Amino acid sequence: MKITHHPTDETLAAFVNATLCEGNTLVVATHLAHCPACRKAVREMSEVGGGLLDKGETTPISDGAREKCLAKLDAVPPEPTEAGTPMPEAERPMSLVSLYEDGKWQWVGPGVYRKFLDVPSLEGTRVFMLKAAPGTRLPDHRHVGTEWTCVLKGAFIHDHGRFGAGDFDEADDSVAHNPYVEEGEECICLVALNGEVEMTGWLGRLIQPLLRL
Amino acid sequence: MDQPSGDALTDPPPEELIAQIALAQDKNAFATLFDAYAPRVKFFLMRQGASPDSAEELAQEVLLTVWRKASYFSSQRGSASAWIFTIARNLRIDETRRNKRARVYAMVEEFDDVDPDTPHDLVSSKEHALRVRSAIGELPVEQQEVVRLSFVEGAPHSEIAQRLKLPLGTIKSRLRLAMRRMRKSLEDLA
Ligand SMILES: [Zn+2]
Repeated sequence: MKITHHPTDETLAAFVNATLCEGNTLVVATHLAHCPACRKAVREMSEVGGGLLDKGETTPISDGAREKCLAKLDAVPPEPTEAGTPMPEAERPMSLVSLYEDGKWQWVGPGVYRKFLDVPSLEGTRVFMLKAAPGTRLPDHRHVGTEWTCVLKGAFIHDHGRFGAGDFDEADDSVAHNPYVEEGEECICLVALNGEVEMTGWLGRLIQPLLRL
Repeated sequence: MDQPSGDALTDPPPEELIAQIALAQDKNAFATLFDAYAPRVKFFLMRQGASPDSAEELAQEVLLTVWRKASYFSSQRGSASAWIFTIARNLRIDETRRNKRARVYAMVEEFDDVDPDTPHDLVSSKEHALRVRSAIGELPVEQQEVVRLSFVEGAPHSEIAQRLKLPLGTIKSRLRLAMRRMRKSLEDLA
């Protein structure tokens, strides 16, 4: 699997610092499940946290806290590592998504289905899987806010390139032109949507009520 | 608290102390780690908005997790300090929000394949840590500031933009440059 579209470094840094909303965290994590290069970047960025911890200031711990902690050690012995087989790579992305999966596929348009994920959100982020048949043409649309996507299966294409399994698409206030699903295989994406999506063109205006994005 | 940058916080280095815990449930090793890290973790957590009491509670929880999970630590993944940083982050998420994010982070960490037959490579993990620390020190002041607000205070980009009265794009590009420079310092390492 060749991944060509990755989250930006500042997005990975936000993941390391846990400052992303839960939906965006899930979409980035799903990319990480596909992408050893970004997992390495995340590990390297954690070294920044480690370095700042080492060089940083301290706040004294109260008297007796250390002894209290030492007294607890016998009750929680170090766990032996489990020798279990690691999860096969192909199953990893869905193992993350399925933490939140609980709805059914809903028809939203010809060849297009959507399944909402149960991701709590303070900011009103909507998280869903979108499934579209091979060759489906989607209307041009403009994002007001952000739309982060990780492809789980198949591929879609728009004017920023081809997005296949594992690819990450970080769209902001810009128009995606001529998006369509590649022929040959259905395409399933994980999407976290902050704000609104505005369809453009006559087809978009026609189906916007249907999509209710 | 001033030590020459790059020196390990403990002697022997924390990676060895963690190995001692995994191997022999060494309580002295734990006590040494506790003294070195608990006050630092507490400082971090307080900068992230925790009250002194809950920061202390959580710092103890972080060190107890180091004890319990010692055998999962692998220097192939990075330094002890980076590992402790991520444990603190995961516990903070768990503590502050009733959600599954902590589980998501734990799963991503499990995806990092560690070859169990490769011995701990303390030299390279120490080299890693050293280079990152000096790379942070060499960043321009305005990038250091954004890095500190992100990594120590756990502030989202939008909040940093507000606090520094700068456009969001400026914050992102400073962070991007800082991350790039820091990763470049590691490039020729495995
Ligand atoms: Zn990637």
